[in-house]
Amino acid sequence: MRCMHITSGLLSIVGAAFLFGTVHALVIDPIDISKVDLNTDGDVKGGRNNPSDPPGGPVDTTPETDTGSGEPPVDPPVSEPPVEIEVSDAILDAPVPEGTLTLRQAHKLWEDGAYFIDARHEHEFEEGHIQYAAWLASSLFDTDSDRAFGIANSMPPESTVVIYCVGGECDASHNVARRLAQIGFTDLRIMGVGYTDWVAAGFPTEEGSAP
Amino acid sequence: MNKNAIPQTSMIESILLQLPLRLFLGAVFVFAAYNKIPAIQSFAEAIKGFQVIDSETHPELIIIGAFVIPWFELLAGLMLILGLRARSAALGIGALLGVFIYALLYVIFTDVSADCSCFGDENFICGSSVGWCQVIRNIVFLIPATYLVLRGPGRVSIDQIMSKPDQNPDSYAYHPESLSNPVDADASRA
Repeated sequence: MRCMHITSGLLSIVGAAFLFGTVHALVIDPIDISKVDLNTDGDVKGGRNNPSDPPGGPVDTTPETDTGSGEPPVDPPVSEPPVEIEVSDAILDAPVPEGTLTLRQAHKLWEDGAYFIDARHEHEFEEGHIQYAAWLASSLFDTDSDRAFGIANSMPPESTVVIYCVGGECDASHNVARRLAQIGFTDLRIMGVGYTDWVAAGFPTEEGSAP
Repeated sequence: MNKNAIPQTSMIESILLQLPLRLFLGAVFVFAAYNKIPAIQSFAEAIKGFQVIDSETHPELIIIGAFVIPWFELLAGLMLILGLRARSAALGIGALLGVFIYALLYVIFTDVSADCSCFGDENFICGSSVGWCQVIRNIVFLIPATYLVLRGPGRVSIDQIMSKPDQNPDSYAYHPESLSNPVDADASRA
């Protein structure tokens, strides 16, 4: 009898989960997993994509409304002379996951004018982020797609985009890279180190709210 | 014996073991659901990335899983925290952990490149890429889940409060003052 009681309770939870899930599915925009190209996962993990490769998904995933017009463009970096900072090689060349950028490579791209995307939580971005970086979390494509596409559309799809998060092997930057690959971005790089490493190296940061 | 009987454990075990384990395991799954529910699209993509389910032939299973799993995690986690049908919730969480372990092992042994997305965009203990760390973590989580299924939620739980008086050892205590006046006795029962 106890087993029956536990099983009936479990079935109740499953039933409730189906109910909530069904209601959830009815109230949000339909999801479409056919847009995901499984091969893009390997492409976007930091290395430059093969230029001959097609974009990682349908390009026309932007909403029909002109969402980009109202969004301020992501600040293009480097109109100032680079600041000379003494940083040890051990920090700059610290080991990173295969296919991701070391701190030295990321900083070089920052100096060369690549776009930087902060994939952490919005409050973390507001507390401090890499100078000129824009905030774009992958969940924003679900919760406020107009805003997400607005930010994405403010960058040319062929531009070099460096994505970072807390550090280590955090998922956030990979998820954002996958989303950007789906809408046609072809040169996506992922910082193997995180924001804390950038700060520890003394590279430029700034505070401020997300667009 | 009442069919809703829950194992009777000591107050010390309830407070030092069952309650902390319930709160910990429940909080982990509520946290996981909290990060997944606002980003169902991302979670669906993560499920597809595991390639356990053929997305060409059964895309509906991926979509159903993406919507149902986070809500199941949330409900089971909350019920575990509250101690409401806690053994069922622990059993459900254990079963879910079993499914997760199978999927992780599938990814590891088939050399599929996949992100865990176990906690949405967040990480807990392990990194983002699927590896043995996630497998070990889930096996560790199975231990408290199994314990709670076998031993129940303990005394500090809604299950205990809602259990029938004849299952509460304190109800066997003799209180002569409540029997001295039948009216008072009736009132105390009410």
